[in-house]
Amino acid sequence: MINADFIVDVGISHYLILSAILFSLGMIGVLLRKNAIVMLMSIELMLNAVNLSFITFSKYNSHIDGQIMVFFVMTIAAAEAAVGLALIVSIFKRYKEVNIRFFEHLKG
Amino acid sequence: MTADAFLFWFLALITIGGASLVILMKNPIYSALALVFTMCGIAALFVTLDAFFVAGVQIIVYAGAVMVLFVMVLMLFDLKHEVEAFSKGRITGAIKLATAGLLAGLVMGAIFYSSTAVDTVITKQLAAASGDPSKQLGMRLFTQHIFAFEALGILLLVVAVGAVALARSKGGTHHDQR
Amino acid sequence: MDHTAIVSVLFASPLLGFLINGIRRNHHSANVAGAIGSLAVFISFVCSILLWIDLQGMAPDARRIHVVYGSWMAIESLKIDFGFWIDQLSSLMILIITGVGFLIHLFSVGYMSHDKGVAKYFSYLNFFIFNMLVLVLGDSLVTLFVGWEGVGLASYLLIGFWFTDGEKAAAGMKAFIVNRIGDAAFLIGMFIFFVSFGTLNIQELNSMAPTIMESTWFGIVTLGTLFLFGGATGKSAQIPLYIWLPDAMAGPTPVSALIHAATMVTAGVYMIVRLNPLFIAAPNTMMVIAVIGALTVVLAASIGIAQNDIKKVLAYSTVSQLGYMFLACGVGAFTTAFFHLMTHAFFKALMFLGSGSVIHGMEGEQDIRKMGGLKKYLPWTHLTFMMGWLAIIGTPGFSGFFSKDEILWMSFHSPRGHWALWVLGVIGATMTAFYMTRLMCLTFWGKSRVAKTLHPHESPATMLIPLFVLAALSVVGGYVGIPHIISEILPGHPANILEHWFQPIIKTVPGLVAGDPAMEWGLMGASVALALISTILAYQLYVKNPSAIERFTQKINPIYQLVSKKYLVDELYFGFIVNPIVRLSENLWAYIDVRFIDKCTYWAGDLMKGSGSFVRSLQNGNLQTYAMYIGIGLVVALSLVMMR
Repeated sequence: MINADFIVDVGISHYLILSAILFSLGMIGVLLRKNAIVMLMSIELMLNAVNLSFITFSKYNSHIDGQIMVFFVMTIAAAEAAVGLALIVSIFKRYKEVNIRFFEHLKG
Repeated sequence: MTADAFLFWFLALITIGGASLVILMKNPIYSALALVFTMCGIAALFVTLDAFFVAGVQIIVYAGAVMVLFVMVLMLFDLKHEVEAFSKGRITGAIKLATAGLLAGLVMGAIFYSSTAVDTVITKQLAAASGDPSKQLGMRLFTQHIFAFEALGILLLVVAVGAVALARSKGGTHHDQR
Repeated sequence: MDHTAIVSVLFASPLLGFLINGIRRNHHSANVAGAIGSLAVFISFVCSILLWIDLQGMAPDARRIHVVYGSWMAIESLKIDFGFWIDQLSSLMILIITGVGFLIHLFSVGYMSHDKGVAKYFSYLNFFIFNMLVLVLGDSLVTLFVGWEGVGLASYLLIGFWFTDGEKAAAGMKAFIVNRIGDAAFLIGMFIFFVSFGTLNIQELNSMAPTIMESTWFGIVTLGTLFLFGGATGKSAQIPLYIWLPDAMAGPTPVSALIHAATMVTAGVYMIVRLNPLFIAAPNTMMVIAVIGALTVVLAASIGIAQNDIKKVLAYSTVSQLGYMFLACGVGAFTTAFFHLMTHAFFKALMFLGSGSVIHGMEGEQDIRKMGGLKKYLPWTHLTFMMGWLAIIGTPGFSGFFSKDEILWMSFHSPRGHWALWVLGVIGATMTAFYMTRLMCLTFWGKSRVAKTLHPHESPATMLIPLFVLAALSVVGGYVGIPHIISEILPGHPANILEHWFQPIIKTVPGLVAGDPAMEWGLMGASVALALISTILAYQLYVKNPSAIERFTQKINPIYQLVSKKYLVDELYFGFIVNPIVRLSENLWAYIDVRFIDKCTYWAGDLMKGSGSFVRSLQNGNLQTYAMYIGIGLVVALSLVMMR
């Protein structure tokens, strides 16, 4: 599968695979990191991975709406980062720590 | 190896490496810096995909504003002394890694499967878009998607107010525990 | 006034009385509660009279008032309304219920004045009256059954009114359970009729009753009526379900008078009279009814001879008199059955109230061996009680004479009758005269055996007035149904009003011809003479020569013991029915319930608890674990999509 063609002939698959890898890395960060701020960063990473696939499809379908979608996603991501960080500030004020285990009040 | 291919592999290396550093660095500041690298790499990838306006926004909004916000919060808290970067639990950790790996594998499998099935139907058929893509983007954004755009504006306003309110509060709603 | 309004008031008044007394039972004084209860029934009584007057104004063939408050249930062909049907029969019945009921309420004011739960007592009584009205007026068997169950409940509550006494509470339960057996039969009868006729409306059933006789034992009408009669044996205390009624005397005496003598126990008779066209079409059922009735007459009367509790004697007398009513139904003399129901309601209520007055005067003593000579202390009670006595033993001219004699004549003369039934009836009448005279002798006449410490006293006016009214009714109540042969020799030839009144709704047995007057006179003379001899004998034995009776009972001691122990019927039932069922239930409990069903339920509970604690461990509050679940779900969903 990985041959000279694959390396030389860069196409839609390459971008999508890259996007999948970035998404998974972001997911690992969300799942494994203790620091809530790093978790937020990982979420941003996942969003960027999705953006990349949007742009890829936009290009290879010659349709501009993919870029508009990315635009919206970025805006939402910025908003989410703002709210998430405000929450973290709030938690930090209380516990002097931003460990994710302080969110365990939902325990059943 | 053409210049295009070289550029792609180079940027792929930068983004994957940056992303790995984001999740591996114990110090959140380093994580943030690695994330800036990744963002910039992705912006460059956008350029290779002819999405110039979005690439610019990516640099300005993400690598600029959002990351500055992150770094500012980190600086504010002075959190560099972190001993344990990863949450506890070996078995769950393994399951989590396996989940993420499986997901990536599945997606890649899907991509390979479909690319061989559909083959190169859409590969490289870069229809010459009429006119400047940024202009096209603006036209569509402010005509067809104007409602969504305005709604986003209101959302941002609400988020701004909410973030200020949250950050000003004295830490959570459980006042009695303090 | 509008009929609907009158009927509404008729029902609402006792219901309101029940609610008021029931809700405010701890806030009322005895007199207020008694006034409310009595007034409620009095209003109903007035309504009954109004309805009766309205019926009088109608043409004889169209004497009916049908009030429908709306549909109760309509399931395919089953349509049951909140409908009430007032005609010749039910109007008279509600007159008896509310009239006698009012008198007994009035009596209770005095009788219960020393009790703590007076308001509760009156609320139960009003509840009973309400349900009895539903029973009598309901236009379908289902509505009737609602009242039927309601009076059963009221009866249970009132028998066990002094429920702190375990024996009395047990008597209430016994009444309830025995009645339940009858009710099951009643339900089956209803099912049979619904399946075969498609309706439960009483008028429709009556109009659908086949005109041809059903000669088989397993015909629809025969089976259905037999099961309905099974229900009647429970409610009206006939063989084999009569055993609850004597025990029901544990309740307050006015309750015995109202429920267990005058009204509720006659519900079975009323039901049969109500459905007379159906019963006429089933000669086999009627034969069974007549035989059971006649046997009950003799059996209960013979037990009554050997009882020493004043109320027990009256209770067995009631069973015996109810047997007469069923005998009358069984030979097709439905009018006569109702006639006896009415006269019996008067004189038996009177006697129960009289015994209540005696018990009240004796401060709770019920054993007639410890009475005697009470005539001196309770003159008015004695006088009124004597009227009841004269009526029940069939003294010519008194109400009981007319009705009982008519029953005896019909049992002989009717095409459904038989000379053996007449013989049983006369034996019963003779025994009745004997045990009633014995009761009079031991209670009121002869030497006083009252304990020295006890000072019997006459009852207050509220208790005596009902006695007077009922005594008057016991004397003159019979003149509404004078038999033809007697009216022929009387001046003016008074007609048989009751028969005339019922003529449009009560069918006669086919093949009934005019009887031979000489024969009728002869049979009447024979029964009166036998009753007279037995009365004199009893008087001789119990007043003049008390030692003779002791020697006599000594001589036939085994038989005497057997009779006084009620032929051991209760023990028989316990040995052959109750105890085996109890043992079976115990085994079912120990093996099936504890070892199997309980295990199963525990196992199911443990399963739920175990799975619950497992699922709870999944929800550990950790955000990242939740995210992991999402990821796993995503992977599974994607793999499913990929595999297709």
